[in-house]
Amino acid sequence: MSLTVAARIARRELRGGLRGFRVFLACLALGVAAIAAVGSVRQSIETGLQQEGATLLGGDAEIQLTYRFASDEERTWIDDNASAVSEIVDFRSMAVVTRDGETERGLTQVKGVDAAYPLLGEVRLDPAMPLAQALNGTQDLPGAAMDPVLVARLGIAVGDRFRLGTQDFVLTAALIREPDDAGGGFGLGPRTLVRTEALQSSGLLAPGTLFASAYRMTVAAGTDMARLETQATGALGGSGLRWRDSRNGAPGVGEFVDRLGAFLVLVGLAGLVVGGVGVAAAVRSYLSEKTGVIATLKTLGATTHTIFLAYALQIAALTGIGIVLGLVLGALAPLALAPVIEARLPLPAVFGIHPAPLAEAALYGVLAAALFTLWPLARTEQVRAAALFRGAATSRLLLPRWPYLLALALLLAALVGAAAWLSGLARLTLWSAAGMTAAFVILIVVAAGLRRLSRRLARSRAVRGRSALRMALGSVGGPGSEAGSVVLSLGLGLTVLAAIGQIDANLRGAIARDLPKVAPSYFVVDIQTDQLDPLLTGLRADQQVSRVETAPMLRGVISRINGRPAAEVAGEHWVLQGDRGITYSAAPPNGTQVTAGQWWDEDYSGPPQVSFAAEEAAEMGLQLGDRITINVLGRDIEAAITSLRNVDFSTAGIGFILSMNPAALAGAPHSHIATIYAQPEAEARLLSQIGNAYPNITMIRVRDAIARIGEVLRGIAAATTYGALATLVTGFIVLIGAAAAGERARTYEAAVLKTLGATRRAILLNFALRSAIFGLAAGVVAIAAGGLAGWGVMTFVMETEFSFEPVSALAVVTGGALTTLAAGLGFAWRPLSARPARVLRARE
Amino acid sequence: MPDTVVSLQDTRLSLSGNAGMVDILKGIDLQVTRGETLGLVGPSGSGKSSLLMLVGGLDRATGGQVRVLGHDLTSMGEDALARLRRQHMGVVFQSFHLIPTMTALENVATPLELAGRRDAFDRAEAELEAIGLADRARHYPAQLSGGEQQRVALARAAAPRPDILLADEPTGNLDGDTGEAIMELLFGLRDRHGSTLILVTHAPDLAARCDRVVRLVDGRLSDAAVQDAAE
Repeated sequence: MSLTVAARIARRELRGGLRGFRVFLACLALGVAAIAAVGSVRQSIETGLQQEGATLLGGDAEIQLTYRFASDEERTWIDDNASAVSEIVDFRSMAVVTRDGETERGLTQVKGVDAAYPLLGEVRLDPAMPLAQALNGTQDLPGAAMDPVLVARLGIAVGDRFRLGTQDFVLTAALIREPDDAGGGFGLGPRTLVRTEALQSSGLLAPGTLFASAYRMTVAAGTDMARLETQATGALGGSGLRWRDSRNGAPGVGEFVDRLGAFLVLVGLAGLVVGGVGVAAAVRSYLSEKTGVIATLKTLGATTHTIFLAYALQIAALTGIGIVLGLVLGALAPLALAPVIEARLPLPAVFGIHPAPLAEAALYGVLAAALFTLWPLARTEQVRAAALFRGAATSRLLLPRWPYLLALALLLAALVGAAAWLSGLARLTLWSAAGMTAAFVILIVVAAGLRRLSRRLARSRAVRGRSALRMALGSVGGPGSEAGSVVLSLGLGLTVLAAIGQIDANLRGAIARDLPKVAPSYFVVDIQTDQLDPLLTGLRADQQVSRVETAPMLRGVISRINGRPAAEVAGEHWVLQGDRGITYSAAPPNGTQVTAGQWWDEDYSGPPQVSFAAEEAAEMGLQLGDRITINVLGRDIEAAITSLRNVDFSTAGIGFILSMNPAALAGAPHSHIATIYAQPEAEARLLSQIGNAYPNITMIRVRDAIARIGEVLRGIAAATTYGALATLVTGFIVLIGAAAAGERARTYEAAVLKTLGATRRAILLNFALRSAIFGLAAGVVAIAAGGLAGWGVMTFVMETEFSFEPVSALAVVTGGALTTLAAGLGFAWRPLSARPARVLRARE
Repeated sequence: MPDTVVSLQDTRLSLSGNAGMVDILKGIDLQVTRGETLGLVGPSGSGKSSLLMLVGGLDRATGGQVRVLGHDLTSMGEDALARLRRQHMGVVFQSFHLIPTMTALENVATPLELAGRRDAFDRAEAELEAIGLADRARHYPAQLSGGEQQRVALARAAAPRPDILLADEPTGNLDGDTGEAIMELLFGLRDRHGSTLILVTHAPDLAARCDRVVRLVDGRLSDAAVQDAAE
């Protein structure tokens, strides 16, 4: 019965239109739209990766081997189970150009292919030509296609020669697009594409050099890929092969997109929370205007329950409109921007309306709207019929009754729970939720403190005679102050931005500023055993080289732990993803800190032993005495963990997770790596000298690698900043809402002040001062809370040092103050221009 | 020879509304001399309050001339008018119009502060004490009764010792006894400071306390009703 009556009252109340709800609708729609748009783009990419999985992989399935080509037995199995096979070899090397006696070198990721490549998709070249023609080259030399970036860096053109190892090639085309590019993951050097057979005499595929081979297969339509994988691992399982198939053609990329998307959804959720402040303010303002109506309804016999229902139904209807608007916007924006997004993505994306992310955004919208409107709605209970005659409702912040508080707690838990579950980033979600809640509480406390302080200052003798400041402080501290909504909405938006600013600046600082101080100049790979001594002798005699470190290196895959498949024991720990570098050493290298167990004797030749990195062992649940099986070059080696040691990866020096006793790896062909610490001015000379003397050696300039990592980070930071900006835009809308809501009060105040003799300048100064006070308070809290969040993320997540970044912080405070000032002054025009008589008469 | 402080010549006021232009004042000629108390009476909608607003410079005449203390208000800018009010006028309204975000003391001190008085708060405190509201100085308007709010408004208007006091139905929202007390205060203040008082009222007994009463009917001064209370 009361529902029917409530629905009827709600319908009549809504006949007045949605004018007072523009901020409500904008906040909710924008928050939902941001989440829906991010989710839709993520889904579009994931669908693209799924649909184009085989093309991205370069075949229906792939068997990857480290350090070696397939054995005859393996090749036979592959040929028997595939309708077509293509063999690929991939490694890093140096492309060398000699011109007028000068030598130019560039790091490149070489891909050697056979005639069957590509099994799927098409290679695009410039000038356009068939790949076979490009790789055939000329009569004298094999051909090569090269990434335009490297072509430009080396300063060569089509028809010019360059060298890989000891083999010359002719550049026949620029490589515009490889169909299987995205599957390969992050590479430090631009691509060079050549025929594998042309590399035979390059010296780059000698035993022990670092290369990976891959066998791409196409199989008959309808083949059960899971079964084929089982068959492959059953038949060839002990050989350290890695299997991928079209079910997940680019696992690394897929995971990256998934993680980044989930993270951005969380940032979007922060925006929705900021919008929630605006939603709550709009509902509070609406209900306070309705005090008379509510009091009248109570006088006429309406129960508290009926009145609550009547207004809850109105809010529910408006929430529905806001969410639908947001979903339409969030679904259409990626479609409209599809050409722009596609052009920037190296990945296939299938843009369309994806229901799942829209449903997720709608769920967040409903939960956030319920969470932020329940408290103001509960206040309808506190309106007494007598309010009609007293003419004013209580403005005190009264706690609602316990059922409402319980419902609020449940809604909060549901929102955080949904975000944790749907994003798959439970820990980050919980920390973010805790951070947001803390920021929320801090801002409420600060707003209350600001009001109290302003009230006290307004009455102090210090501001007497400074009428604009005294009036501004009086307004900030007095009844009907906007401090709560403005400080909260702006503060939350700025806190998110400040936290991201601090994290971004610290990350960039750690990589671009701090790392080069401790990092070596060059990371050298593929040093053959017979090259090691002459190379070291030369380097140690060099005055400009301060330090050289070397280690033998093999690569292997941890396949089993204590006889069980490794993934069963340690899940998806990164150490188990792909192959890992392994070294050996008779004695612990200088500076080694053994934290548990004991290093083997120098002449130890018993069963294999391994020293494991302590931190990673703890993460994987490994202990001294555990046995791990490592597949090296197709051979399984089972070794007992006899010691744990600290490994510091933060200096970009040599660091191995696994170090074994020399006898365990005896006879395995391998190469050595080295790190060279030299003065910056010697770097070019060293590259030239070593490159000339040892053409097979690859030298990775650490500065270039850092720059490349910096580029990738910049991309991620840009995406995050866009997400944070959406939060700030929402915050700005909330601010505008607050400013617009206060316009009537300010117009009246200005009219009275004019009557008392205030000039427009004095009134404007008064308004500007209070905006600046709000902005400054919000900015200061944002810096503190953002700094705290940045410290937490850098210390506990990134496990690196945090240093407060003042430039980013200053930008946030200035931005905050200017934003509130702009919003405040934007709404000062009407109060300043209105004739006092008309404003005052309207109030008579 | 009496010193004229307010002089209206063929003053007109038209306002645009939903139904087009409405003529509120249709050519008013009126002089008020220094120290005089003038009662403005007339039926609702006759233009009494509008006339008071024009004299206070709170609205702008659309025709004719409005001179106050020798200043032509029709040619002055918003801020010049504000400065004139700050130095020479006090206004009291039917709905009090206290600033809700300020305490009683701050409300009274505001015009003094705007006038650059260093002792604004001391004087405001003295004014409040004079009207018996010293103990309510730290209260916000919402915490005061209607009568108390109007007393604060009176103190605010009188605090700068204005040459001219404009009062627009100051007892309109108050009960009889409270209204009576307010009027005592208003005339007391006027007597104490020697201000010129222009009082808009519906109450004949209040009008009768004025030196002179003029009646407005339909935007014009009614000749028949103009009287000199002194006669």
